[in-house]
Amino acid sequence: MSQAVNTRPPQELVSWPEPGYTRVPLNVFSDAGLYAWEQDLIFRGPTWSYLGLEIEIPATGDYVTTQVGDTPVIVVRKPDGSINALVNKCVHKGSILCYESKGNRSRAHNFTCPYHNWIYDFDGNLTSVAFEKGIQGKGGMPPDFDKSRHRLIRLRVETIRGLIFGTFSERTPPLREYLGPVMVQHMERTLYGTPKILGRYSQLLPNTNWKLYVENSRDNYHPSLLHAFFSTFKLNRLSAEGGTRQDEKSWHHITFTKRHTDKGDQAYDSGMIRAMKQDYGLRDPSLIDQWMEYPDQITNSIQSIFPGFVLQQILNSLGTRQVITRGVNDCELVWTLLGFEEDTEEQTCVRVKQSNLVGPAGFVSMEDGAIGGFVQKGIRGDLDNVAVIEMGGHDVGSQPTRATETSVRGFWKVYRELMDV
Amino acid sequence: MSQSVAITSRRAEVSPEARDAIERLMMEYVHAIDNNELERWPQLFTEKCLYQIIPRAEHEQGRRIGILFCDNRGMLEDRVSSMREVNVFQPHVYRHVIGPTEILEHKDGAYAAQTNYIVVRTMHEGEMQVFSAGRYVDEIVIESGTARFRKRVVVPDSWRFDTLVVIPL
Repeated sequence: MSQAVNTRPPQELVSWPEPGYTRVPLNVFSDAGLYAWEQDLIFRGPTWSYLGLEIEIPATGDYVTTQVGDTPVIVVRKPDGSINALVNKCVHKGSILCYESKGNRSRAHNFTCPYHNWIYDFDGNLTSVAFEKGIQGKGGMPPDFDKSRHRLIRLRVETIRGLIFGTFSERTPPLREYLGPVMVQHMERTLYGTPKILGRYSQLLPNTNWKLYVENSRDNYHPSLLHAFFSTFKLNRLSAEGGTRQDEKSWHHITFTKRHTDKGDQAYDSGMIRAMKQDYGLRDPSLIDQWMEYPDQITNSIQSIFPGFVLQQILNSLGTRQVITRGVNDCELVWTLLGFEEDTEEQTCVRVKQSNLVGPAGFVSMEDGAIGGFVQKGIRGDLDNVAVIEMGGHDVGSQPTRATETSVRGFWKVYRELMDV
Repeated sequence: MSQSVAITSRRAEVSPEARDAIERLMMEYVHAIDNNELERWPQLFTEKCLYQIIPRAEHEQGRRIGILFCDNRGMLEDRVSSMREVNVFQPHVYRHVIGPTEILEHKDGAYAAQTNYIVVRTMHEGEMQVFSAGRYVDEIVIESGTARFRKRVVVPDSWRFDTLVVIPL
């Protein structure tokens, strides 16, 4: 294991108080040793991590740089149209090869390290070492230096509906098997057109361990309680039809609702729910006008794929969210807002207006940016304590309701399996 | 800190009155936000307007959206009321420091201008940070001596935003 060197095994770093997933020891969010193990066992383990969109690298030689956990990765389009993902690290001394967030190597299909000019092809083979034979008869690499024994670490890459995923581990099943039919069907349903990028930005989440954001993305219970916009405008309340879907192993999650089926509930009218504001109105209510984009009448769906990818559909605002780890205490969320090439100008305008709902300035999403910090602040003095996750019962699995934390328990189920804790 | 005096470029013919009005607008904008008079902020825009925050790299690529989009004063008012009444966040304030305004040209009934800015965010517990730095790309109209923004595109140099953006930049 490469990251957790000289670290005690995970079983010694965290102690689950009981079997099952209803109690979560709070030090999982703060222990640096566990973070190193997560890099090995989760991000370099049998999981698929989102790398970006095919449309970001349309032409031969186009590349973007991103991260899988802490590992910097180059994602490049090869001449045959396939995509490679390579660790952005020279085998020589470890310098990154590509120091820009995106670019193109169309003239010569290779990556040249800025430090000593070692050159790699798009498959990661080391093809050239500067002054390998020395110069003017002096110096150079020893005669037994064999370039073919040194290569960039390469991820396996698969795509689905224009989304690019990569995995480090040979043990990872193929992507569609990893996702399972429920998740695959939802991705294909949501991304029904030719994606185009409307906007892209990053949200730094300080004081938010990556798992706090991912947990939040799988938490059915909070949307109408934390996000006053959802409740007040009846966009996403538990009184509407909806549910929680998971794959068979509970690694992944979809929450969905149909806004127009909201019949109301005494709970929301009681005045006890902070997020249900009786006296608040928008000056420009066209913000929440939408067209019924999907035949299934679902107006809001959040799909969370372990370990750190979210596919969002909030009214007509579509997009991807990628979780990037930044140490044990912080993480970053990369947002890419999407439309389709097939959209009419009117539809694009609706998506543009609804972009106000999401992202760091999002009427809905901004609170998800703050809430992880609220948790980390609250638990600081009680890291030996536990979180209590019993909403909806004690089990995992799909449920025809959203008054449940079944997918939060699902997250901890995967975590305990992969980390063996 | 250099004075925020509106500077004209050679392409623009700008009367002293217009320069004064534009300078006042620049100052009122940041003071309304920084000094907790956010309710004045929408009044500094025309009824149909454009206010956006788009990171520099995205803006240079001509992207349609950044983190925020308003195309009329009602949407600006909704940003204010949502901040006051709805959203959940740790209390904080901004302090803008702006550079001199460069008036680039007078075209289509408006003055095109750009102004550098830096915003320091101070949290209720006292932590301070440089929260955003970039420039304002503006179209300003002047009616009866009062300048208003027909368009203000905030272009932060960074594509990254710390935690959340609830107060307009």
